[in-house]
Amino acid sequence: MMIKLSFKCVLSLIYILVVLAGCTTVTIEEIQHSATELVEGESIVIIGRRTSSDYETEPELISCIGKILAKGKNQLNVIPEQTFVDNLYPWFEPRTAPLRVRDLQRLLTYDAVSQKFSDFNVHYIVWVDGNTETTRSSGSITCSLGGGGLGCFGFGTWDKKAEYEASIWDYKNKKLIGKISSEADGTSYMPAVVIPIPIIAQVQADACKGMAVQLKHFFNNTQG
Amino acid sequence: MIINSLKLLIFIVTLVIFTGCKSTLTVKGQFPTPVVNKLPYTLGVIYDSDFRDYQYTEKDTKRDEWEIEVGEAQLKLFNTVLPAMFTDVVSVTDIKNKQNYSIDIFFKPHVDELQYNVPAETKLNMFEVWIKYNMKVYDNAGLLLADWILTAYGKTPTSFMQSQESALNEAMVIALRDAGAGLTLKFSHIPEIHNWLKKHANK
Repeated sequence: MMIKLSFKCVLSLIYILVVLAGCTTVTIEEIQHSATELVEGESIVIIGRRTSSDYETEPELISCIGKILAKGKNQLNVIPEQTFVDNLYPWFEPRTAPLRVRDLQRLLTYDAVSQKFSDFNVHYIVWVDGNTETTRSSGSITCSLGGGGLGCFGFGTWDKKAEYEASIWDYKNKKLIGKISSEADGTSYMPAVVIPIPIIAQVQADACKGMAVQLKHFFNNTQG
Repeated sequence: MIINSLKLLIFIVTLVIFTGCKSTLTVKGQFPTPVVNKLPYTLGVIYDSDFRDYQYTEKDTKRDEWEIEVGEAQLKLFNTVLPAMFTDVVSVTDIKNKQNYSIDIFFKPHVDELQYNVPAETKLNMFEVWIKYNMKVYDNAGLLLADWILTAYGKTPTSFMQSQESALNEAMVIALRDAGAGLTLKFSHIPEIHNWLKKHANK
């Protein structure tokens, strides 16, 4: 009976920890300067900014946003980042990509570049800048190999913060039409009682979802 | 007998440990064709064996032992980029070759230096690569026309479950793409080349 109760306790503890897992706070902000006018057949492209020296906007975040925008209700035509960047090589590389909307004009003086934009039927370019990083970690887990096998004991925890900002450029009218920011904070836990049980907060994935949902709203809504 | 067996065991374990410390990487990647206007000239490109077989071997004993083979990947990059920049590109072994009469200019790239950083060294959780190229351009008489340094940079964040080799390969490919971008966009702006192009504009 005693053993049964302990086992139940362990199970309950695991259940509580799993229920608590993935607690992430997401904050979304939006500024819209003018209405969007996506007509059927037109596309958008989402590109990560990779100009900073101390971080890099993760390609998986960009593809995550693209996938959400391209499915479900009010889906959009999204050109995959790598396809776009490869087709316009070397104009959208980390050190050559246009930093301001007016820099696009310089690119369009090249007929071949202008033609590529027409082929893709791009109307909006979304630049996403930011990253996800671990801001704090504490605790310790010790694993040892004994006669009874391998066992780990301890507790570890870490905080992650995701900060992203999307700038939406209207390629056809050559202007910045809005900005969306997505910030997410979350704490992950790793209790170890013989086996480590990772309870991970999906900080980056939640920031991605928040950004994607807001972008969808941005493109399917008129003036905000 | 037991001591001899023990010595053999220690020797084998030591050998296995030290063999396991060395990491090798043959850089592999795809390079897109640049979208640029072609220059109406025939370029003779010279890839010497140093360039073709360029390999970086870590000599610093304080760092992990890495062997990075870049030759094949950079050859692939230049063989994609140069034909997009010029009407015609031919591979030649020597500038003085008598068969080179139809060539307008010669181009010879050389790797001066390669450096890399792994996450443990930068505290940034990123792999970083720098490649310093020395580019030389000769006229059709074999006289040096331009000589400049092109620095390429690539970085990639480490991802969960990604191996060191694949992350470093990714950083190398980004650096090579950067080299291709730098060459394509800056070539005509090198003052000596710019002057040569102005002089030969009527071709």
